[in-house]
Amino acid sequence: MSELEVRVGDEVVEPVDGWTVEMVDAGHGLARLTDGRRSVPVLVEGSGSDWVVTLRGRRIPVTVRTWRERLMAEAATAAAAHAGPVTIKATLPGLVVALQVAEGDEVEEGAPLLIIEAMKMQNEVRAPRAGKVIEIAVASGQAVATGAPLLRLE
Amino acid sequence: MSFRTDSPVPSAQPFRRLLVANRGEIAIRVIRACRELGISPIAVHSDADVDALHVRAADRSECIGPAPATESYLSIPSVIEAAQRSGAEAVHPGYGFLSENPEFARAVEAAGLVFVGPPAAALEALGNKVAARRTAEEVGVPVAPGATLGEDDDVAAVERLGFPVMLKAAAGGGGRGMRRVDEAGQLGEAIATARREAQAAFGNGTIYAERLISPARHVEVQLLGDRDGNLAVLGERDCSIQRRHQKLVEESPSPAVDDATRAALFESARRVAVTVDFHNAATVEFLLDADGHHYFLEMNTRLQVEHGVTELVTGLDLVAWQIRVAAGEALPAQVLNPPRHGHAIEVRLYAEDPYDGFRPTAGRVGAWRMPEGPGVRVDAGTEADTDLRPEYDPLLAKLMVHAADRPAAIARLRRALDETLIGGLQTDAGFLRWLVDEPGFAAGDYDTSLVTERWGNGPALTAEEQALVALTAREARVAGPAARAPQARPEEPASAWGRLARREALRR
Repeated sequence: MSELEVRVGDEVVEPVDGWTVEMVDAGHGLARLTDGRRSVPVLVEGSGSDWVVTLRGRRIPVTVRTWRERLMAEAATAAAAHAGPVTIKATLPGLVVALQVAEGDEVEEGAPLLIIEAMKMQNEVRAPRAGKVIEIAVASGQAVATGAPLLRLE
Repeated sequence: MSFRTDSPVPSAQPFRRLLVANRGEIAIRVIRACRELGISPIAVHSDADVDALHVRAADRSECIGPAPATESYLSIPSVIEAAQRSGAEAVHPGYGFLSENPEFARAVEAAGLVFVGPPAAALEALGNKVAARRTAEEVGVPVAPGATLGEDDDVAAVERLGFPVMLKAAAGGGGRGMRRVDEAGQLGEAIATARREAQAAFGNGTIYAERLISPARHVEVQLLGDRDGNLAVLGERDCSIQRRHQKLVEESPSPAVDDATRAALFESARRVAVTVDFHNAATVEFLLDADGHHYFLEMNTRLQVEHGVTELVTGLDLVAWQIRVAAGEALPAQVLNPPRHGHAIEVRLYAEDPYDGFRPTAGRVGAWRMPEGPGVRVDAGTEADTDLRPEYDPLLAKLMVHAADRPAAIARLRRALDETLIGGLQTDAGFLRWLVDEPGFAAGDYDTSLVTERWGNGPALTAEEQALVALTAREARVAGPAARAPQARPEEPASAWGRLARREALRR
């Protein structure tokens, strides 16, 4: 599997030479990186091509892909560029405490759409791009789970 | 290495049973104090917390209702009923929830039980921040210039203070409902938001404005009083490292406080406390400006999250003393005037993403490895493979270190953070690990703006970090299914033996 491509964020990264990875607790992804002189504890979680490595407290998403997975991902990205309406989903579970738009409203990118209260905090959900609100799927006072559709923008 | 200044065991058992009206790490903290005092601890839990760590730590637990806090941990009748059902003689409210609610304190006493906290009248007098400000002013304690906002939004009075100003909830505290306003044009919208948050969080939309003190350090003084009127002033804590006006790091002594300032802070704290009939634990919070002048913020009539920092430097068990003074014991001389040893720092581990504005990250904790060893204390409310409840506070654990001086404490904290590994979700550990290497923090030179001004959303990844994580992920993939995420593959007993064997092999 020498042709595995590793990306950290959007960048292709060459894995460091001279270091080895020792799994300490594979069930929880606890591992130890060492170059024979120093060692760093890390956590590695994931499967397939999608991984998250926790280094010094920071969770860093890493994709590890074969050439076949790369081609498929590129095709999927190209298809998404032609996409129409976008559904905005809850990124955390909570309570909808205020709706700041109505169906039919034209909004700018970054405009406040609604407020979700979670863990005692008010979290503003903003428009990822400019568009028209074509559907609102929630009401004020409603509890929502992670991934629940909130509204649709066209 | 932990030392005790006080006699750890009272001559008479204060209570036979005590109800802990809280959850998470603070419930466990109170349960531990009960155990050491020979008191049987009773927990409470909502439907969501049946299997929670604090429930298992107690002798038994009473269900007090459904998951939303308003229907369980904040329900006075449910908690009182649980206390009576369990045969508890006293109730410890922890922090948050009902801890500063005078109505709750009264209900506990009316039920013939002892409330482990200040008298209801003190909670009432100091719970309203506008009234508390006025009281402080009357006894000659400095406050920042301010104005109260009535029903008709007296914007002109706020404008006269001069910008920037800080909007705060009269019934608030803990940083919630606070808004910074830089110019008159933003005032209307900021008032509306602050009111809405205050109404939602405290059921009271009254807010007030204070002229912003900037740069400022947030320094607070720990108090402990008994029913005979003895008051112990147990040192200060510097809590300047905050996000959203909520604390992330606390240390004692404060690197910004010299002996003269400390004496002035202690005197102001004492003056505010004696305006009310006070006993039990409380904290008086101040802002300290660049010239070392202090301004009264509020008095919190309860145990603070960061009480452990004071415990480490004084060698006192504050929770045990809360329970003992509630039972009528007088504070002995060594508690009224304890020695202060070394330096303590606490960092709060939150389920929050410091690389994205400290947004809460609900989810499931996977791996959970906490530091150990000399001078390290961890008060945790969760464990490995646990779902976090979005209904409650995102505090996972408090990591505290104690050492002979501040540089040694920072070195110890760095070591302890390197031992800490939390899987499944982003925590603020990345920020904390950055902080211990930050030159300003190391020099003690920081103020409440550190997170915004110096951290922002964190530094970019270095090339070395990228290459290291790239290697780790590639090797994990190549290693195959053995390195899957815990959620994806429940463990069979067989693999535990395999892991043990591997660990044994590594030890050689």
